[in-house]
Amino acid sequence: MSTHRKIPSWGKLQGWFVEKLMYNQGGISPLGNSNLFNNQIPDKGIVQKQDYQSFLEAASRTMIRFKKPEHLIKMIVKTIDEQLMVTHTAVLLYKEEKKSYILIDSKGTTGLKIPIGFVRLNVDNPLIRIFSEKNSFFISETGILNYNDIICGLRNRNILELQPDLYDNLLAIKKQMDLLKSVLCIPCYFKRDLLGILVLGEKINGENFSREEMGFFVTLANDAAMAIANAQLIENLQQRVEEIKELYVKEHRIFIHTAIALAAAIDARDPYTHGHTERVTNYCLAIAKELDGVPEVSQYKNFRETLQISALLHDVGKIGIPDYLLSKNGRLTPEEFEEIKKHSVIGATILNPIKELSDVAKEVRHHQECFDGSGYPNGLKGNDIPLIARIIAVADAFDAMTTTRSYRKKRTIEETLQELKSKSGTQFDPIIVSAFLLAFQKGNILNNHK
Amino acid sequence: MRKILVVDDEHDICDFVGAFFKERGFQVFAALNADEALLITKKERPDLILLDIKMKGMDGLAALKHIRELDRSIKIIMVTALEDQDKMHEAYKLGAVDYITKPLVLDYLEEIVGKNLKAV
Repeated sequence: MSTHRKIPSWGKLQGWFVEKLMYNQGGISPLGNSNLFNNQIPDKGIVQKQDYQSFLEAASRTMIRFKKPEHLIKMIVKTIDEQLMVTHTAVLLYKEEKKSYILIDSKGTTGLKIPIGFVRLNVDNPLIRIFSEKNSFFISETGILNYNDIICGLRNRNILELQPDLYDNLLAIKKQMDLLKSVLCIPCYFKRDLLGILVLGEKINGENFSREEMGFFVTLANDAAMAIANAQLIENLQQRVEEIKELYVKEHRIFIHTAIALAAAIDARDPYTHGHTERVTNYCLAIAKELDGVPEVSQYKNFRETLQISALLHDVGKIGIPDYLLSKNGRLTPEEFEEIKKHSVIGATILNPIKELSDVAKEVRHHQECFDGSGYPNGLKGNDIPLIARIIAVADAFDAMTTTRSYRKKRTIEETLQELKSKSGTQFDPIIVSAFLLAFQKGNILNNHK
Repeated sequence: MRKILVVDDEHDICDFVGAFFKERGFQVFAALNADEALLITKKERPDLILLDIKMKGMDGLAALKHIRELDRSIKIIMVTALEDQDKMHEAYKLGAVDYITKPLVLDYLEEIVGKNLKAV
């Protein structure tokens, strides 16, 4: 054992590491506590080896739970720096946007610590290529690049004489390691991709790294790679979700605008009903505001949206009604009225093939039903009529009464409110009429009324 | 012995670049701000200055102007972040000979300094 500096026993180091992981960085140790490592561990022999194994397993499971791989990398750099007594430690990670490996964390003695963010290695750097191409026999079976091995290679006469290309490559690698003052480089792979490298200076006491220490580095590097890959995967996924969300919002906007355009086209056919759809939609939304907390509302997947689209499209079936009927002056004959009544069914038929609008189609179909069962097309009663259809019924009636139609003059607001109240419970759902009156009192109806 | 002055408001960078060139046989001075850089320039007359563009207080471009007023023979290489590259046009007008972007490639740092000193 070295006389200058006592390297902490593995047991102690492992315990310390798990503790740091648990308390500093929000990691959760699968072991629950680190007592396992604080117990007396024999210095040598099989027990220690097993424990070493279990530490690595525990550490790797802990690492995967790191939300931010930078925390893990900082932790690794800190651990190596504080516990293994090296002159300096650095981690370079591949950054897609810079197409190179950037130094993202480092520690070390003054002048040797490579400043964070200061250095990059390009993908064609010999030090990167030796790892990314994975074909050099100068990398040990552990995957570590050792400065000593490069020096040995350069001293080998056979290489100099028989493989001048390899010799040049070794020189280039030596130069890169000299620039970084590194004696060990440990790659971080995920699958076949080189995500980064861990760069280590020499040990302060000048000793060589032990086999065990190198094994430890490799495990740390592999786990770090796993954590980085996980984090990147999650980031990509989140990005994708954002993209899809944006796309959805955009498509949705297009859809709403299409519905509005369609509604405007229906309105335009009848000069008397100009602006009708827009007003009805606004009344519906004002009524809906007063219905917050009504249990039926929560039965809709997206109540407000279904309401808005249903209101916009409630008269879409008028497309199938002849012009002369829509704009007829004077009262309709019973046959003509029967024809007009078809518009709610036609509307539902138009919308039904659109899978996303099956809810809307149902509301459109029933918006002319009456609360007492006297409406059409199905004569549904009470709560059998879908909620949105009941809302549209009130809003639709209010607008019809307060605007001039081909067959009659408009009524005053007071008359109309009286009419709504008197038909509450027969034509209209009393709850919706109350909600409407509340919205009216608050001024949310007339500010929409042009 | 060739003299190099490293000007950067980050301690780590001064230390690292300082050690880096000391090891390569240069006499190195370091300044953490423009005022310090001007004092050292007056006193030591370095052959080459590595000057960070973005610094607290007087920035690299202002420092460049003052150094050029002091001594037009000093080679000045600007050290910039990628996003400050547009300032290089002005730096060239003020007399900088070259620039290097952070994060940098160490071989290139060695090379650019060597190249500019050879021409002295």
